[in-house]
Amino acid sequence: MDLGAYLSRFSQAVRDKPNNLRKASECGERIIGYFCTYTPVEIIHACGFLPIRIWGGQVEVDRAYSLVPNFICPYMRFSMERALKGEFDFLTGIIQGYTCDVACGLMNIWKGHIGMQMYHSIALPYNDSAESREFFASALKETVIRLRDIGGTFSEQALHESLALYEQIRCRVLNLYEMRYAGALPFSAADLLTIVHAGFVMRPEEYSALLEGMENHLDTDTPPEPRGIPILISGSLLEDPALIEIIEGYGHRVVADDLCTGLRHFSPPSGSGTIPLDRLVDRYMNRFPCPSRVRAAQRVPLLMELIGRSGARGVVFAFQKFCTPHLADYPIVSQALRSRGIPSIVIEMEETGIMEGQLRTRLETFFSMLEA
Amino acid sequence: MDKTGKSTKRLTTARELNTVVLDYYLECARARHEGRPVGWMPPMNGAIEVFYAMDLQPVFPENWSPVCAAFGLAPDNFERSEKMGYSPDLCGYLRNIVGYVHGDMNGEGVPLGGLPEPDLLISFGGGCIPAMKIFQILEQRFPGAKVFSADLPQVAVEDIREHHVKYAVSEMERLIEFLTETTGHTMDYDRLKEVVEVSDRACELWDEIMSYRRYLPVPFSAAEIGIMFVMVTRQGTRTAVDFLTRMRDEVRERAEAGRGVIEDEKIRLFWDNIPLWYNMGLFNYFEKMGGVFVAETYSAAWSLRLDTRNPIEALARKSLMSYSLVSCLSIDRRREMVLKACRDYAIDGAVFHRNKSCVPITLGQADIQQALLSELGVPSVTIDACHMDARNFSLAQFQTRADAFMEMLLEKKRLKTDRTS
Ligand code: SF4
Ligand code: SF4
Repeated sequence: MDLGAYLSRFSQAVRDKPNNLRKASECGERIIGYFCTYTPVEIIHACGFLPIRIWGGQVEVDRAYSLVPNFICPYMRFSMERALKGEFDFLTGIIQGYTCDVACGLMNIWKGHIGMQMYHSIALPYNDSAESREFFASALKETVIRLRDIGGTFSEQALHESLALYEQIRCRVLNLYEMRYAGALPFSAADLLTIVHAGFVMRPEEYSALLEGMENHLDTDTPPEPRGIPILISGSLLEDPALIEIIEGYGHRVVADDLCTGLRHFSPPSGSGTIPLDRLVDRYMNRFPCPSRVRAAQRVPLLMELIGRSGARGVVFAFQKFCTPHLADYPIVSQALRSRGIPSIVIEMEETGIMEGQLRTRLETFFSMLEA
Repeated sequence: MDKTGKSTKRLTTARELNTVVLDYYLECARARHEGRPVGWMPPMNGAIEVFYAMDLQPVFPENWSPVCAAFGLAPDNFERSEKMGYSPDLCGYLRNIVGYVHGDMNGEGVPLGGLPEPDLLISFGGGCIPAMKIFQILEQRFPGAKVFSADLPQVAVEDIREHHVKYAVSEMERLIEFLTETTGHTMDYDRLKEVVEVSDRACELWDEIMSYRRYLPVPFSAAEIGIMFVMVTRQGTRTAVDFLTRMRDEVRERAEAGRGVIEDEKIRLFWDNIPLWYNMGLFNYFEKMGGVFVAETYSAAWSLRLDTRNPIEALARKSLMSYSLVSCLSIDRRREMVLKACRDYAIDGAVFHRNKSCVPITLGQADIQQALLSELGVPSVTIDACHMDARNFSLAQFQTRADAFMEMLLEKKRLKTDRTS
C-alpha cells in the first residue's frame, strides 16, 4: 500500500463507521459509546469492550427537538437525532466522563429513550491532589464494577495491556503532529483530522497497525513546500474537515490544533505510576486541558507554547454554537493572545454546518489582516 | 401587562423580606469597613455554614443577578460583557455578573450599595459549567483575592457512593484549613454544630411552610418565592429561622382560615425552572382566569435536611446533592420530584419555562412533561424565555400560550365537574 491507500483506508473507516460497527456487534463485539475524550477508554477496553466516540455529523434534526431544546450544541443535537433513528443500535451502553452539562444531560435523555444495558457517568476531579487522585481511582473502580455487571471481565494485566496499546496509538499520532510542526507532513491537515476521526470508530488494535503501516511511507514521500500563513485551530470538536479544507484552499496551512478531535485527545500519551490504575489516573490529571476542566489563564501558556512550536501566526477558534466552556473562555484567551501579538477569529458551527459564503468573507478579511 | 414587572405579594412576611434583603447587603458592606473578610461563593453548598461559623461574610454573585434583573440593571451589564466578547448564548447569570464587576460596582444608582469586593474567592470546580466559569472570570477581575479552588464531584443523587462523600468531606476540611490560614479566623466546631442545627431548622421550617400549599385554596403562591432569599444567603443564621417562623405562622393561619391567594381559585399550577427575575409579575398573570402557582421545582432544592450529628459530613452531602437535585444530572430523580409535587399539591397544569440561560435545568423537561401527562394526566405548556435576559422573552407569545393553556384547563375542569355532578 502506498500513502494514498493508507489515507483512503482511514477515510473509509470514517465513512463506513455505522456499517462497520453494526457488523462488528453482530459478530459479537460489545461496543460502548462515549461523547467526550475525558472518558477513560482504557478501562472500557480492558474490560473487553470496544470504546467508540459517538458522532454527530450533519443530519436533519426532526425527532430530537421533541426532547431537547434547540439551544444546545449541534454535536449533541445531531447525535440525539441519530440515536432516535436507530443509528447507534449497536451500542451496549454509554460511559461518559462529566465534562459538560450538555453531554451529561443528553446521556440521561438517551437513557430514557434509547434502550441500552448501561449508562454511566463518571465524576472527574478538577484538582490534582493525593485526595483527588484517590477519588478518581475509586471512580474508575466503580466503572469496572458497572462493566462487570454487564458481562465485562477485568484484570490488572488487561489494563496494563490496554494502556500500552493506547499509548502506542497516541505516540504514533503525536509523531504525525511533530512532523506537522516541522512542516514535514506529506498530507494535509484535513487528512490528519480524518486520521484522528478514524481512531474514534476503529478497533484500537487495527488502528494502531494501520498507523504503523503508514509510518513506513512517511519519510520517503517528499513533503510539500511550506506556503501560506500558519494557523492554529482551537475549539471543542471539529467533525467535518470542511473548515480546514477552506483554509487550505486559500493556500494557508493549519499547523497545530487545540481540539478534542485533535491534540487534546492524544497528549500526553501515558502517565506514570507503579500500578496501571495509577498510570491511568496520572495521565488524565496531566492531559492537555479542555476549557471544561481548567481556567482560561491556565490554557494561555500552553497555547503559546503550541504557537511557538508550530510557528502559527493566527488562531481560528472553531466553536460548536452554544458551547459554554469554550465560549466562556474565549474573551480571556483571545485577549491574552492579542496582547502577545497573535490575532484570532471565531467561527461558530451551527446546525446547517458551516455557512460557506459568510465564513469565506470573514476568513478572507482575517487572512489579509495577517498578511498585512 | 409589561415585558418586565414585579409580582403582587399578599403575605405580610413576604413584604418584610425587603428589610431582610437590605440588612443582608448592609451587613456585606459593613463587613468590608469592619475588616471582616468577605468571600464570594457559589450558592447551594456547605461553604455558607462554614463561613457563618467562622464569622466570615459570604457573598453570592449568583444571587446578585436577580437583584440586578429586578432593578433593571441587567441590560447594561449584558451590554458590557457582550462588548468584552462574552457570547449572548452564555447563561445570563454569567453575562450579568461579568458585566457588573467590570463596571462601577458601587456607583450611584446601584441598588443596595452594590457588592463589596472579595477578599476571598471560593472558586468552583463542580456544579454547572457557567457557575464554574463565573468564578474563574472573577479570579481574573480580582487578582488580589485569595482563591480557594473548590472541587465537587458532579454525581446524580441516586449514584452518590462512599468515595464521593469521602472526597467532598476532604474538600470541606481543606476549605476550613484554607480559611484559617488566609483569614486567621479559626473554626469553633461547637459553633459549627450550632450553625448546622440552625440551617437544618430552616430546612425543616421550609418544608413545613411548603406543606401548607397542599391546602385548597393555597395560602401563598410562587409570586412570593422571593422568600427563598433567606435560604440562599442566610442559611445557618437566626435571621433565616426567625423569618421563616413568622412566615410559617402567617401561612398556617391563612391556610387554616381558608384564605387563598385569590378569591376564586380554579386552577392549581406548577412552575418548572428558574423564574423570569425581570418579570415576577408573570406569576400573577394567570390569576385573572383563576389560576394560581401552587408549587415550583426550584423550591425543592431547599428542603435538604442535614444530619446534625456529623456537621462536616452533612455539609459535604448537602454540597454534593444541591446541584444534582435541580439539574440534568438526575433527570429520573427530578421527574419523581415533580410528579410527587403535582400529586401532593393537586396540580391541574404545569408551566415549563424553557430557559435559554439554563441548559442544566432545561434538559430533561420534555421527559418530565411527558411523564406528567401519561402518569398523572397533568397537561403542560412550554414558555420560551430566559431567567435574566428580557430580550429572549416574547410577551405576546407568552400571553397567547398562557391564555390558550388556561382555557384548556378550565374546559377540562368543567367537563370533569359535569361528569361528576
Ligand atoms: S463541550 Fe461544547 S461541544 Fe462538547 S458537548 Fe459540551 S457544549 Fe457540546
Ligand atoms: S442558571 Fe443554570 S446554567 Fe446558569 S449558573 Fe445557574 S445552574 Fe448554571
